[in-house]
Amino acid sequence: MRKEFVRLMLEMGGKEERLVILAGDISVFGLREFRKNYPERFYNIGICEQSMMSMASGMALAGLIPVVHSIAPFVTERCFEQIKDDFCYQGVGGNIVSVGSAFDYSGLGCTHHTYSDIAILRSLPNTEVVYPSSPKELEVLFKQSFDNGKLTYFRLPERKHTQQIDESIIKFGRGVVIKDGIDITIVVSGPQVDNAAKASATLKKDGIDAEIIYIHTIKPMDKELIIESARKTGKVLTVEEASIRGGLGDEVSMVLGELGNIEMYRMGVGDKFITDYGKYDDLCRSSGLNEEEIANKIRSIVANE
Amino acid sequence: MDKINSLRKDIVDMVYYSSEGHLPSALGIIDLIYILYKKILRFDPKNLSWDARDYFILSKGHGCPALYAVLADVGFFNKEELKTFCKFDSMFGGHPDRNKVPGVEASTGSLGHGLPIGLGIATAMKILKKPNKVFVIIGDGESNEGTIWESAQVARNLLLDNLLVIVDKNKSQAYSLDYDYKKIWTSFGWEAEEMDGHNHEEIERKVKAMMGIKTAKPKVIIANTVKGKGIGIMENNPEWHHKSPDEETYKKILEELK
Repeated sequence: MRKEFVRLMLEMGGKEERLVILAGDISVFGLREFRKNYPERFYNIGICEQSMMSMASGMALAGLIPVVHSIAPFVTERCFEQIKDDFCYQGVGGNIVSVGSAFDYSGLGCTHHTYSDIAILRSLPNTEVVYPSSPKELEVLFKQSFDNGKLTYFRLPERKHTQQIDESIIKFGRGVVIKDGIDITIVVSGPQVDNAAKASATLKKDGIDAEIIYIHTIKPMDKELIIESARKTGKVLTVEEASIRGGLGDEVSMVLGELGNIEMYRMGVGDKFITDYGKYDDLCRSSGLNEEEIANKIRSIVANE
Repeated sequence: MDKINSLRKDIVDMVYYSSEGHLPSALGIIDLIYILYKKILRFDPKNLSWDARDYFILSKGHGCPALYAVLADVGFFNKEELKTFCKFDSMFGGHPDRNKVPGVEASTGSLGHGLPIGLGIATAMKILKKPNKVFVIIGDGESNEGTIWESAQVARNLLLDNLLVIVDKNKSQAYSLDYDYKKIWTSFGWEAEEMDGHNHEEIERKVKAMMGIKTAKPKVIIANTVKGKGIGIMENNPEWHHKSPDEETYKKILEELK
């Protein structure tokens, strides 16, 4: 996804003269073409995310469109107050693009993980939270929202999903129905959509027909789509590579909580730090985020009817 | 009553009638803000988004009664409106809000934000090839914040010669050593100067001189100030940091300002 980000910035740099990149000492080599073409609009600010965020808001106040780029925990959690005061409270728009969210930097340990970025960003007024997990989604969603006056957070995962989603139905703020079903709704974000799809294929053999809704825009949430599906199935399971406290699961619960009679279940990172190392897939497995665990969870939900 | 005492009275009135606000902090910087708006900054109260305006940011936002008093004085709004300070639906809060107060360029309050915001604006002026200048007042207490020193490095790296920082050195911060800020900022690669933050002639002369220096460096002036300046019982008296006078004290203050 970082490659697509680099390509997209190069394209957008040529189309939009107000677009400025502030990098926190990462992707500087990757973005060298942007820097070469638009040297006055690329800044490696250094390892100081708080000041970088405030600076970006200053640029926005002066009429530019900042894209602040760094590793997820540093560009969200470390500078949360700068995002809150200098973008959201002041009411200026801009973009944060992170890489290395969740446990993508699996071997680097907990300081380089973030499970709470979605939770904290969605908690602020004037924010949008976007989680594009294919190159096309990033391109389409960025173009649809980068200059809309809001602070938009793009969470770019390392792993891309493999679902074939027609470009015409990728719309900011709208969910995507990957598969129709009647027994349970899986609301899933990020690359886990592949595991949800595989689990659903397995479950079909057990006679369980799951509907899959893929969410790339967590805030604003596609309420109508979620409500319509939940009313049909009566059961909703959210799956995400983020904390179950405050992430996609919370946003969906907010939508469905007032309906009544909808069973809500969540899969994601629990109330803990993931202190193991290994590869991305190892940490998915240890967090229960794989095809088998999703299928097992759904079997147990349906069995409890 | 001379002009500066009249502005001091405006500040005292805001705090007295609302029982809110940081009175000595505002009194300590009123001379600086007054001279900036009277002698230095380019602005147009009738055209808030004037393309050629200079930017002023009060990074130590709690000193805002001083900013409000000066903005009223130079015509951004009617002085009468200051009486609403900190009332429920007032545009004037205990920290300045750019979306409410005409002439306020950045909402500040949490310390260490206004300076890097100023860096962003100064960088934007470079990108847009505009000559507008950016002026930021920070506090010496505020200089405990790490973002001040992040900004010190970044502004030097980016050669933001269109940025002038004034450090309000009132030496009131309880746990701060008496740092030689001129030496510190110089070591960060800035063009640094020092001045009496209450001497109008010196403020104007030194700010103009600094802005006139042909250098790629960002600029800073350490302003030696007295917190609570102009009101005897408050000068350098930490008891008054966030306190409002009672009726008897208020009357004495008015006598002193006559």
